[in-house]
Parts: sequence; structure tokens; C-alpha cells
Amino acid sequence: MRIRYFCLIVLITVIVTSVFSLEAPLLNKRVNDFAGMISEKTEQQMTQMLYDLEVTDGTQIVVLTIESLEGEPLEDFSLRVAEKNGIGQKENDNGALLLVSEDDRKIRIEVGYGLEGVLTDLLSGRIIDNEITPLFQQNNYDEGFLAGVNAMIGAVRGEYTTESSSQSGRGFLSRYSNLMFIPFIFLFGIFRFASLLMIGRRRRGIIPMILFGGGLNRSSRSGFSSGGGFSGGGGGFGGGGASGGW
Amino acid sequence: MKKIIPLMAVVLLSVMVLSSCGYNSMQEKEEATFKAWGDLEAQLQRRMDLIPNLVATVKGYASHERETLEAVVEARAKATSTTINAGDLGNKQAMEQFLAAQGGLSSALSRLMVVVEKYPDLKANQNFMDLQHQLEGTENRISVARQRYNDAVSTFNFSIRKFPNSLTNSLMLHLERKEYFEAAEGAEQAPTVEF
Repeated sequence: MRIRYFCLIVLITVIVTSVFSLEAPLLNKRVNDFAGMISEKTEQQMTQMLYDLEVTDGTQIVVLTIESLEGEPLEDFSLRVAEKNGIGQKENDNGALLLVSEDDRKIRIEVGYGLEGVLTDLLSGRIIDNEITPLFQQNNYDEGFLAGVNAMIGAVRGEYTTESSSQSGRGFLSRYSNLMFIPFIFLFGIFRFASLLMIGRRRRGIIPMILFGGGLNRSSRSGFSSGGGFSGGGGGFGGGGASGGW
Repeated sequence: MKKIIPLMAVVLLSVMVLSSCGYNSMQEKEEATFKAWGDLEAQLQRRMDLIPNLVATVKGYASHERETLEAVVEARAKATSTTINAGDLGNKQAMEQFLAAQGGLSSALSRLMVVVEKYPDLKANQNFMDLQHQLEGTENRISVARQRYNDAVSTFNFSIRKFPNSLTNSLMLHLERKEYFEAAEGAEQAPTVEF
């Protein structure tokens, strides 16, 4: 009799939660900025980094921002998103998710089974505490996301470790990883500057500008951001990772 | 030759009958519960492995919280000595004891984490922050593993009860239903914070 009651309660809970809980979105990009926290440039940059990571290592990392959890526990939602989208390859379970809820000011890194050895709870926690949170606290979301994604990529490649992120090594490493973006930013700036000059010299007026701007956009996109699409490989998750907030 | 044909027919028939009446699927589902239990046990063990380090770190900053620290150490010792074999998963009493020991550890730990709030120096300590992330991560894994184990149990328990599996089970396999891993009474209660 008790079992029957238990089953009934379980059934009711399942129905209730499936109706009221926040639905896990199906993601088709590597960077899914539903809350609008990331600038377009940074979004492209991260997409490119994550695409490169999948090409070289097969590891899939996905970024998701949402406006609110609507009262749902962060860990539950994050696990559901990761499992629904099957981030990572099925045979290696090498997927990870960086989830940020804007209104709740919460951050979670969800780690697939296959990455738990390199992107440990400890390291995920440090990435949140030391890389992302300080920048988020200054409202510097772009840099925060970049630092976080960069550290996650470093971690899954075995380059970002506890030793290198300890007091003495950390400064150097994070400075070094930040430096790596400077050439890109420069390149981007030069592109922009050159195109503005060319527009100014060649023709004036709105229509050619739109035309030229459109062309430039396409050329910069082909060089800068490819592989915007994402499809999960069916990786498995077991609740590994860390949570934090700012 | 004449003897072999009926023998083969019997073998073939029994294979067909057994596979359609759940002989294989029930065992498959039982294996799934064992696997889920193994995962859960590994996570519980992981939590116990973290405790000595945690206690040592907290002691360095909050040595006069001796009572709370001792409670954690004691609860860990009790949880370490209370084990359950995969074969005993159907034993209600053994499971209750196991749950009580693990629940005791959960509540002792959460009391410790509340006490720790009073020590800002400790909370800012890198070693402690690392441990806290590891502990939180492990608790989260435990809750995921627990849910998966309970799901596996409910699938298995139903599979041995439904017809015609129930018949096969009572005649041949004699598999017993497994107990759920549910929090012991009181263990899930969050400790009260006094200011």
C-alpha cells in the first residue's frame, strides 16, 4: 500500500515538475546569449575558439546565458540543458556547459563524465571564482566570458591546472592568455579602420556604404567566425562541475 | 536423429518463451540497478574522502568549534563502518541503517558549513574554497546518482511485478525487489541558523 502511495506521489511530482519547470532550450549554436549579455564581437570570437577546440580535440563546450531561472535550482536546470543537448561526443562524454543566469547572478560550469578528470570540481570552482566573477563584478561581461571560456579550454587541454592557477603562476598565465587576444583585436581594428578609409575615399552616400559594409561583414565573418552551428554528440553528464555567483 | 529433433524443439521453444516472459530483461534491469548503486556508492565514498582534509582546514581557523568538528568525524567513522553489499539492496533493514549513517554525515556536514559562515578568514582561504567546491560538487553528484539509482530501482521493481515476468520470477529467478535510496527522516532538514 505504501508503495502504491509512493508511486502516486512520484507520478504527481513528475507531472507537476514537467509542467511548471523551466524548459531546457535546444541549442544550435556554441554561444547562446539568450540574456543578451555578450557583445557580437565577443560572441564571434568565442564561437571561433570553441569551434577550433572541437576540431582539434573533439571536446564540445557550449555557453548559455538566460535571463532567469524562474526559481528553479541552478544545478537541475544546467544538468537538463546539458543532457537534452547531448553536449560532447557519445563515446567520450567530453562536453561542458557554461551557464549564466543574469537576474539570479549565478554561474555554473557543468562538466561531462569524460572531462571530470581535467575540468575537476575544484578547477571549475576556481575558474568561476578567480576568472569570471571578478570581471562580472565590474560589469565587464565580455571579458568575463572570454576569461572563463579561455580557462575552460585551457583546462580541458590540460594547460590550465591547479599549479598554474596558484598565487604565483596565476598572474602570468592569465596575463599570457589575455595577451593572445591582442593580435586578434588589432587585426579586427585594422580591418575596420581600413574599410572606413576605403569607404571614405571611394564613394559616399548611404547605399554604397551599406553595400560595402555588407561585403566587409561577410569577409570578416569568413575569416573570423566559422562553424557557428552546433549539434551535440550525445555526451553524458553526472552532475560534475561547480557553481558560483557574482 | 529422431531424439535430437524434439530436443531442439524444446530448446528453441524455451528460448522463445523465456525471452518473451522477461527472463533476460529482468536480469538486465537488475544489473542496471547494481550499476547505478555502484555509481552512487562511489560518490558517497568520494564525499568521505574529502572530509579529513576539510576538518583539518577548518580546525586551523576555527579550533573552538570542536563539538561540530567532532560530530563530523564521528559521523564519518560511522558511515565508513556501515556498508551494504549490492546483494543486500533488497534488505530493508540494511538499507535503513545505511541511509541513517549517510544521513547523519550529511547533517553533520551541513552544520559545519553553517558554523563556518562565522569565519571570514577561513572563507577567503583558497584551500577552503577549493574544498567547498569539491564538497558541493560531490553533493550534487550524489543527488544525481541517487535519483538515477531510484529510477533504476523503480524500473526493476516494476519489471518483476508485471505479468508474465512475475511468474518467471517466482518460478525461476527469485529476484527480490530493491529498496529505494531515500533520505532518512530528519537528515534532509536544513540546520537552523542562529544569529
